[in-house]
Amino acid sequence: MKTSNRELLDRLAAEYVLGTLRFRARRRFEHWLLSPQVGALVKAWEERLAGLEPRLEPIAPPAAVWRGIETRLKLRKLGRGPATRYLAIAASLLFVAMLGVFAVRNWDGTTVTPPPVQLAATQKAFIEENPETIYWRVELLGDNRELKVHVQKAHDLPPGKAFELWALTASGTPVSLGLLPTTGEHQRALTDAQRAALSGARQLAVSLEPAGGSPTGLPTGPVLHVAPLSPA
Amino acid sequence: MNRIDTLPPEIELAQLLQRCAARDSTAFKALYDKTSPILFARLLRMLRRRSVAEEALQDVYVRIWERAVQFEAHRGRALAWMVTIARYCAIDLMRRERMTLVGDDALDEIADESAGDSTEKPNNFDFCIGQLNDNTRKCLTLAFVEGRSHDEIARLTTNPLGSVKSWIRRGLLSLKECLSSERQPT
Repeated sequence: MKTSNRELLDRLAAEYVLGTLRFRARRRFEHWLLSPQVGALVKAWEERLAGLEPRLEPIAPPAAVWRGIETRLKLRKLGRGPATRYLAIAASLLFVAMLGVFAVRNWDGTTVTPPPVQLAATQKAFIEENPETIYWRVELLGDNRELKVHVQKAHDLPPGKAFELWALTASGTPVSLGLLPTTGEHQRALTDAQRAALSGARQLAVSLEPAGGSPTGLPTGPVLHVAPLSPA
Repeated sequence: MNRIDTLPPEIELAQLLQRCAARDSTAFKALYDKTSPILFARLLRMLRRRSVAEEALQDVYVRIWERAVQFEAHRGRALAWMVTIARYCAIDLMRRERMTLVGDDALDEIADESAGDSTEKPNNFDFCIGQLNDNTRKCLTLAFVEGRSHDEIARLTTNPLGSVKSWIRRGLLSLKECLSSERQPT
């Protein structure tokens, strides 16, 4: 990174943390937060400016706030009862059985025959705008051996573009997990390199790329979403 | 009364956040009970309107639940991490809606409020903030504490916008330089 760039980024990081960037500038800057260098600049400013935090008397919020949070998180099927959980298991068994019968078209256009063995989901992530608007449900199966993607809601896609999914590794370097489908549910095996990246990853990201995917192997377009990976 | 100088112990909050990361909703409720009055007060300070702050508080805890896996327990600072989420949430809302929230009377309160001594400050923070001139300190405080934009700060302090922007820019630089040096209060 050039010195001048670093100085500019540090200034933007400072004003991002202080809160004085305008809305659009703030949004644009957030796209860069995936970069470990920019993340480190922001973290340093958060620590520097923490001393400005005011001393305030706590104020208890009304009970309705917690009920609202509960309702919103229930939309995400949290705290499912045993009955619904069994239904979900039955549904996924049915899906696997169907995969055994039909070959599915992969989202890169190749036709693949799904693996005969049933793998359990070990991690999952919801790619979302907010908890009410989930675009993709991503599951990692059988210790990151396979990736399953379910399109919950179609995401607006400009012509000539594609959505690319990335694993954000512990070192901060994104590793491509391939393009995201725009409809249906898809499953495919992961490469050893992708598995290695996922073993230390705690987040997935989606970037907007030229059709066919990033030409460089790293995100080139804006990062649209970042989602935490959690145990399935 | 749960005063801010008897804040919940960091280690306890960090443990609760770790359990949230493992999707333990009981831990999430316990975390909410311990921290929501602090975050609600912080949001009200910026957003002013109760109904807006209540909505924002929901967003904040949904974000905390979603991002609990990103909390680095070994770094501690659980409350600071949550307060930052709340601040950013309020700033997003204020910048998006271009909210004009309060009259100009907030300025006087701000002047003597400044930084609290219960937060985790860098060691020589008080010395370094004290090195800045009054105008700069006021601008930084209005931005950080109240979430005010450059334009609002210029209007509130009746200073030209250009001066406000340059005070803030220079103030941030001076603060960074001072905090990274070994100088201590004398």
